[in-house]
Amino acid sequence: MADTNSLTDAEIMLKVAGYDSKALEQLYDRFAPILYTLIKKIVTDKETAEEILSDVFVIVWRQIDQFDFKTNNVYTWLVTLARNKAIDVVNRRNDKILPEYNDEYEKEHILPKLSPEIPPLELRDVLGKKEKIVKALKSLTDAQKYVLELSYFGGMDQAEIAAKLNIPAVTVKSKLQVAFGKLMQKVSEA
Amino acid sequence: MDKKKSLDLIKLEVLGCISEKDGETLQAFKNEGEDFPWKELGDYQNVISMLPLTIEMKYPASDLKDKTAMKLYGIRDQIKAKIDARKAEEMPTEPIEEVSQTTEEIEIHEVASDNIPTEHIEIEENVFAEVEEGFSLNTEAALGKEEPARFSGKHKEKSNSESLFKQSEEVETREPVKAVIDKEAIEKITREFVKSHVDRELVSLRNNVNKNKMLSFILFAVALILIVVTFFLK
Repeated sequence: MADTNSLTDAEIMLKVAGYDSKALEQLYDRFAPILYTLIKKIVTDKETAEEILSDVFVIVWRQIDQFDFKTNNVYTWLVTLARNKAIDVVNRRNDKILPEYNDEYEKEHILPKLSPEIPPLELRDVLGKKEKIVKALKSLTDAQKYVLELSYFGGMDQAEIAAKLNIPAVTVKSKLQVAFGKLMQKVSEA
Repeated sequence: MDKKKSLDLIKLEVLGCISEKDGETLQAFKNEGEDFPWKELGDYQNVISMLPLTIEMKYPASDLKDKTAMKLYGIRDQIKAKIDARKAEEMPTEPIEEVSQTTEEIEIHEVASDNIPTEHIEIEENVFAEVEEGFSLNTEAALGKEEPARFSGKHKEKSNSESLFKQSEEVETREPVKAVIDKEAIEKITREFVKSHVDRELVSLRNNVNKNKMLSFILFAVALILIVVTFFLK
C-alpha cells in the first residue's frame, strides 16, 4: 500500500471516498490540530471541542459523497465544516431555536457550500501562508478585528453583534463588509 | 445584477453573518447565473478559512482518535447502505449475454461514472486487498499471542474474507464492471480500523500483565528466601 504521508490532501480525500479507513486516519492525523484549534476557540471547553472534532470526522465519513472532487479544496471544506458544526453546537447549547438535527439539516446547514470555482487549497500551502494572514489581520483596526472575531469565531449574527456593541445592525453590516474587504485586499497585497 | 452588491453580500455570507433578507437577495443573484462572481466567492471562502491560523495551535487528546474510530464503527450499517446504493448505481441494468455487448457495457459504464474520479475504481479494488492484508496480519499475530477462542474467531473471519474474495472474483468474471464491492466489505474495513486501535491497547496490556506476573514471582521467591534465612539465623 502506498505511503499516505506523501499524498496530497485531495489524494487522501479520494481514498476516503473509497471508504479507505487508513486514509481517513491519515486525514485525521493531518487536520486534527487545525480543526481542533478552531473548534476549541469557538466552544472554549476541551470536552465539547473533542466531541465536535470526533463528530466532524464521522460526518466526513458519512457525507464524503458531498465533497466536490472537481474543485478538490479539502482544506476550506474541512475548516468550514468544523466551524459550522461548532457554531451549531454553541447555538443549541444557548437554546437558540433551530430545526431538528437530522441528515437533511446537516446537508443544508453543516456541510459547506463552496463556490464551484474555488481554487484548491492544501493544508501545507495554507500553513506556509500563516505569516501573510497574521500580517493582514494586524493591519485592521481593533474595531474591525473585533467584529470579524465576533462573527467568525463567535458565530454571532448582525443583530447579536449590534446588541453586544450597542450599535445599529446596519452599522455592523457595513463594518463587517469594510473589515473583510480590507482583509482581502491586504492578503492579496502581501 | 449589481456586482458590487453581490460582493458585499458574499462577504457577509462567507462570515456566516448574512440576514435572511440579504440571503434571499444573494440566492437570487446566484440563480441568475452567468455574471455571478463565483471566483471571488471562492477566494473569500479560502481567505476566511485561514483565520484559524492566527490563533495559537491546540492539540486534541491522543485517545480521541480511538474514540472517533468507535464512533465510525457505530455507523457501519449506514456506510454499508451507501456502498450498496453506489454499487447499484454502478452495476449495468441488463445482464450481459454476448462478448460484443460486454465492450459496449464497459464504455457506457465509463461515461456514466464521469463524475467519479478516475482513481476511485482502483481504490475500491484496493479495499479488498486491505481487508485481506488486515486479516492475514491479525491471524499471524493470533498464532503466537492470542487465546484459542479469539484465534478461531479470527480464523472464521479470514475464511469469510477469503470467500468474499472468491465471490468478488466470480462476479468480476460474470460482469464487465471493474469495481464490485461486497456489502460485507465495509463492515470488515470498519472493524479492522477499530481493531487496529484496540489490538494495540490489548498487546500493551498483555505485556504489562506478563511483566507484573514475573515481578510477583521474583518478589515471592525473595520473600521465601528471606523467611528461610531468618529461620536458620534463629
